[in-house]
Amino acid sequence: MTTTQGTAGPGPVAVEPRELRRSAAEIVDPAAARVIALAGGYGSGKTEVAVNLALLLARAGRRVQIADLDLVNPYFRCREARALMEAHGVRVVSPGGSKHWADLPIVLPEIAGMLDPPEGTVTLFDVGGDDVGARVLASLQPLLDRYELWLVLNARRPADATVAACRELRAAIEGSSRLTATGVVANAHLADETTPDVIVDGWRHARRAADDMDLPLRFVAVMDALAGSPELDVLDAPLLRMDRHMLPPWRRPATGDRHG
Amino acid sequence: MTTTTAPTTSEASTGAPPKLLMKGNEALAEAAIRAGCLHFFGYPITPQTEVPEYLVKRLPEVGGVFVQAESEVAAVNMVFGAAGVGVKCLTSSSSPGISLMAEGMSYIAACELPCVFINIMRAGPGLGGILPAQSDYHQATRGHGHGDYQVLVLAPSSVQEAADLMLLAFELAEKYRNPVMVCADGMIGQMMEPVVFHAEGAGPPMADNDWALTGCEGRERRIVNSLYLAPEELHAHNLALKEKYDRAARDEPRWELYGATEGYDLLVVSFGTMARIVKSAIDELTDEGLRVALFRPITLNPFPYAACRDAMDALPRDGKVLDVEMSMGQLITDVKLAAAGSREIAFMGTAGGVVPTPDEVAARIREELGAG
Repeated sequence: MTTTQGTAGPGPVAVEPRELRRSAAEIVDPAAARVIALAGGYGSGKTEVAVNLALLLARAGRRVQIADLDLVNPYFRCREARALMEAHGVRVVSPGGSKHWADLPIVLPEIAGMLDPPEGTVTLFDVGGDDVGARVLASLQPLLDRYELWLVLNARRPADATVAACRELRAAIEGSSRLTATGVVANAHLADETTPDVIVDGWRHARRAADDMDLPLRFVAVMDALAGSPELDVLDAPLLRMDRHMLPPWRRPATGDRHG
Repeated sequence: MTTTTAPTTSEASTGAPPKLLMKGNEALAEAAIRAGCLHFFGYPITPQTEVPEYLVKRLPEVGGVFVQAESEVAAVNMVFGAAGVGVKCLTSSSSPGISLMAEGMSYIAACELPCVFINIMRAGPGLGGILPAQSDYHQATRGHGHGDYQVLVLAPSSVQEAADLMLLAFELAEKYRNPVMVCADGMIGQMMEPVVFHAEGAGPPMADNDWALTGCEGRERRIVNSLYLAPEELHAHNLALKEKYDRAARDEPRWELYGATEGYDLLVVSFGTMARIVKSAIDELTDEGLRVALFRPITLNPFPYAACRDAMDALPRDGKVLDVEMSMGQLITDVKLAAAGSREIAFMGTAGGVVPTPDEVAARIREELGAG
């Protein structure tokens, strides 16, 4: 019998709280960024990265709030992982009731209160795709003092596949959001068919794009099952070890939470 | 506006075309170009908007034409015009938009013009919602416009199959001089999977279009027309159309049989996203020792009646057939026609954008088999 499905991830992995804090601090400097907006081409994996980043920071003991600012597309948004994030103490701000399912341009009043979070709290904005999705940030720009705007790149997405395309994407997103990009996130993958080579090639591509745009490469996002691959030793940026939460309906989430 | 770079080979070391991560909607759009389609007319509607969004960037790169029409009614008539001059053309919409295109589809089929429609189905009726559904099955296979015409309907179940069926859609449109619809639900349109394009660059233009309106200088004029006032002429026209649809029914059915194909006690019939979920359920049930198979029609029209009946006939006398669909009993019409009264068909359906989980489908199958 043929099987088209991937295999389930590995079982629970015990992670020492100290290691967790160190890896979280590598990715998000506790003293610096308090507001982080994740933007990029649509389908580049912003939402998966945002959800995993929120969970990492929360598990490392940081106070985290995340706003779903994807006003463009009603499928595969971070509000789908709301219960999981809330179980980890993350505050999730997204439209409620039947508007949960809408593709309406709704910016909740709570968003204003997230722009200048208290010391020790991190605000994450999961922004919609492309310049169109990032436009919502322009309305928040006058109220934003210190922020990070990270571009999530997946080298296997046609729109992210060349350095020139990444440069254009950056310019378009900066133009529509009126914010300045402050970093790049490498998120190369092919869903279930991701191999270490895909990740390494994607990291090289993101590194080239980051250097070309004079932006730091903040981290490389990697699914947990591949994070220990020896091929990844060449990577020169911190790893964000991710679980897959944005799944099509025929895929079950990996059983249990590997972090206990 | 960002540009979409044409996916080109970067894996020179292996010589294989690169795998890209694409949404179903994007894969359909790129595949249309690979099929040689350089003319798109459409109007945005969730959850198919990535089709025009992709093409508005890509078509100019390959010398193509993209027109955002003022409505779906306008778009379908632009397709009518483009098809009439013998170029490969495409429109794309989602359920309510397809309803608006119904009249044009009837005219295009009546005039025997090749073209391709994409329907990324959302939940209805009316405005309904924007989540996935399969409730345009009857519309696609029987409904839309008036008169004795048919549209060939292809239903992908993965992003790769969406790309592959798009190539087939243009081939069949030309072969039968008839509209072909690629009918997928919102989940196939929105989800991302690896995809490989085996054809390189924009495909060839239409080969055989000696009926097309290209300017009649130096030759007899051609007429593209659907008005036949004389009853005998219209009768003959309908007989010719029927002969064509009968030929397609004989030559074009496509399907997949999955699971315990060497012997099964229950046969599920399902397509598209729902078939993917059923496969996950079958994998789980197989591990439990239950013998379950899936019959998945790939062509919804022509429906693979004979193959479906064969799959039912391979069941033991007390074997079960379960129809599973994201609608309230539409696919089951054809499953019953295939069974022709030989068996009871059990039904499991959802609506409104509710997508059953593999666990729910597995539980229902266990119940049918008395195993749970």
